[in-house]
Amino acid sequence: MAEEKKGRAVATSTAASIPKFVRGNLSATLKAKEEGKKVAAAFIADGQDEIMRAMDIVPAWGESFSGVCAAKRDAEKYLQKAESDNFSRSLCTYATCNIGFDMMREELGHAPEGAPWGGMARPDMMLGNGQLLCDPRFKWPQATQHYQQDVPVFVTNMYYPPWDPSGDHHEVEALYVKYAKEELHETVKFCEKITGKKMDWDRLAATVELSDKTWDLFIDTYELRKHHPTPMDTGDAMNTMVPLTFNLGTQEAYDFYVSLKAELEQKIKDGVGVANPEKYRVIWAAGLPSWFALGDFQYFNGKGVVFPVEVTYRGCEKVERLDLPKTNDPLEHIAWRWVRYWTHWYDAAKKRPGSTPKVERIIEYIEDYDCDGAVFHSAFSCRSWHAGIMQQAATLKKVYKDIPILIMEGDIVDISSYNEADTHNRIDAFIETLAAYKAKKG
Amino acid sequence: MTDIQNGNGLAAAEKFYAQYGSRARELKASGKKVIGYLSALGPVEIMTAAGVLPIRLKGNVSEAVTKGDAYMETIVCPFVRNVFDAAVKGKYDFLDGMVLPHQCDSIDRTNETWSYTLNLPYWHFLNLPHVADDPSIAFTQEILRIFVRSLEKYTGNKITDEAIAKAVAAHNQNRKLMRDLYDLRKSNPPLISGVEMMKVCVAAMSLPVEESSALIESVIKEVKGRAPAAGDPAAKRIMIIGDQIDDIAVIEAIESTGAYLVMDDLSTGSKMYWQDVDATPDPLRGIAERYMRKLKIPTTFIGSAPTYQGILEERFGHMKNYVQDFKVDGVILFIYKYCDPYGFEVPAIKSYVEAAGAPVLYLEDEYSTSSLARIKTRIEAFLEMIA
Ligand code: SF4
Ligand code: SF4
Repeated sequence: MAEEKKGRAVATSTAASIPKFVRGNLSATLKAKEEGKKVAAAFIADGQDEIMRAMDIVPAWGESFSGVCAAKRDAEKYLQKAESDNFSRSLCTYATCNIGFDMMREELGHAPEGAPWGGMARPDMMLGNGQLLCDPRFKWPQATQHYQQDVPVFVTNMYYPPWDPSGDHHEVEALYVKYAKEELHETVKFCEKITGKKMDWDRLAATVELSDKTWDLFIDTYELRKHHPTPMDTGDAMNTMVPLTFNLGTQEAYDFYVSLKAELEQKIKDGVGVANPEKYRVIWAAGLPSWFALGDFQYFNGKGVVFPVEVTYRGCEKVERLDLPKTNDPLEHIAWRWVRYWTHWYDAAKKRPGSTPKVERIIEYIEDYDCDGAVFHSAFSCRSWHAGIMQQAATLKKVYKDIPILIMEGDIVDISSYNEADTHNRIDAFIETLAAYKAKKG
Repeated sequence: MTDIQNGNGLAAAEKFYAQYGSRARELKASGKKVIGYLSALGPVEIMTAAGVLPIRLKGNVSEAVTKGDAYMETIVCPFVRNVFDAAVKGKYDFLDGMVLPHQCDSIDRTNETWSYTLNLPYWHFLNLPHVADDPSIAFTQEILRIFVRSLEKYTGNKITDEAIAKAVAAHNQNRKLMRDLYDLRKSNPPLISGVEMMKVCVAAMSLPVEESSALIESVIKEVKGRAPAAGDPAAKRIMIIGDQIDDIAVIEAIESTGAYLVMDDLSTGSKMYWQDVDATPDPLRGIAERYMRKLKIPTTFIGSAPTYQGILEERFGHMKNYVQDFKVDGVILFIYKYCDPYGFEVPAIKSYVEAAGAPVLYLEDEYSTSSLARIKTRIEAFLEMIA
């Protein structure tokens, strides 16, 4: 996801180190065997990171691999391979790209020629999660098992209370935390069975503490983007999310944000912004980006539009803002952090009739980051983040302000529906709306 | 419901199929509350125990999505979009509320689109897990309890364990009757056609449980009276696998080729009826176990067996049984576009069922008759191939 053919120059030099992270994560899976470590096919935002890290299990991130293939515009052969065994093109393309790759690796006995950075290793286990987030998170491992029949699949289940304006989520949080904790325990048991090692609970506690620190540092760093002109925008954030998203619970992730923070502070001091001049500030309100067209962010920047904030890949919050109950059990802490991460916008949503937590989150960012408009990306192969966008956009206008909104349509991996000229035309039209809105606002 | 007397069940089924929801409308007029649900995960026992009428919502394959387009993305499952469109157009204006189960992204991620657009007096998102291990069953019990409480609050009536147990018995009886009717498809030729069966299944999901049972009983009597069945004993016997097929269009496409549709593994068909709820001291336990463990739907992860073959048996073993028991010659795997839960199973189901001795035709389609001609051509080619 960090390296794309259409070279988007990153605005921060720290972000330039991201390809190293991505490559490092992929090659760690290949090296694991020599180091006697187990590899787990795993998913981001599943709450299982610290368990894997504390047990020296090397995560093989299929989503990252597919994103890299997309960014290199080299996913088609894998998508076609999956399609050849009747996986529909309408399914999640992160999954089908990865399954196509796995199918080829099984047939060949090694990674297919030309796989980005040597591809990913055959896993020793697959860890899924049937949460509220997405169906592929538990269907994809099951589908892959069809081609790697000896690789065990474990699916945990981590839920959070659904938004219900007539109910009180505080009343049910403890039930959800109890369940998430039990499911995390099941994950630990499974990992112990596969690795043949017992969990080192002190090490897990230390890993969880490091994650908390990383969450805090990430938010402190990103909040520097509130500055005018913003020193970093979403185009970079689609790179700088990598350590938080794929390397949570590691010192490298923490150190990365130390460097990024220092760089942003320096930029602010020097008055250096992403766009010069910065004319419009816009929120990336939802959606995964088209990895093959990250250059579009530069197109925005070139016209004076910056994205100081995005909802996508901001999978954390300052821990103190979540007001987590004290516990000595690291799994219970993960469970509380998980549940509260989702529910901590619920109270705000209740205060604004007709609002929803997702919209409340967007409003909070618009206000905090001083934005004039919102861009959503509706990727056709992922329902998880992209179904419901129209509702969010409409609600935002209704309960907040009639701000300019652009809903772009495309995909994350599948380039076939992308048309650069059309996209740029739509962006131009949106910028005109922004200009009119700002002029009216004065 | 006075017009269901012994012997005219098929005509009644036809009526309730053609005028879907007409009984709910009548009952609503007489003061009963009507709650819509959307899938095989709708816990009908609890709704029945609450004294409300549960009605499974269906769309209309002959009607294009128009109004719904303004609210719901085209990447959502075409069935969900079509039903939503029907609701937005006022086809379900008799609803007092809905319960949306946590089933798949197409449903979960549009929960707010539904609830905020329709703005019904009662709304509940039933947060069922995707996993069926022990903590998940205990969790499901609690999720069902939350549902019970919310219905109590809405109706103002206490839902006792006795009422739930009674509703469980009534729905189990309904399921047994439907299984008895399915049995009549085992003969060759089957005593009831696939088209007739679809109408009965659809009608049954729009009625209060006792009336649904009376309807099925009546159909059984009528159909039994037909024996011995007429028809071509050499015609191919087909089974259909899929989720929300609630219209005769596809079934007609199959049977118009001369084949018999003798069995289904649909969430509107056998999936609703094959598994009973066990009577348990806490009746919610039995309900949780049925919906999570016994109901084999792709949105619940199953995979506890130690070998892959064992896992396949756990997931799809019932399909093999159907192939054998209903003497199935060929299977049509009919999956909607944008359905991740079923879509990711296609290669596994196809190879498993083919190993069980029935060739499989995989069709990906919209919830629409617009593609029916193409579908029919594919079915004809398939039947020729297995001839
Ligand atoms: S459906 Fe969306 S969230 Fe889920 S794996 Fe695919 S791209 Fe990611
Ligand atoms: S067909 Fe698939 S996507 Fe549609 S409601 Fe059923 S499970 Fe969900």
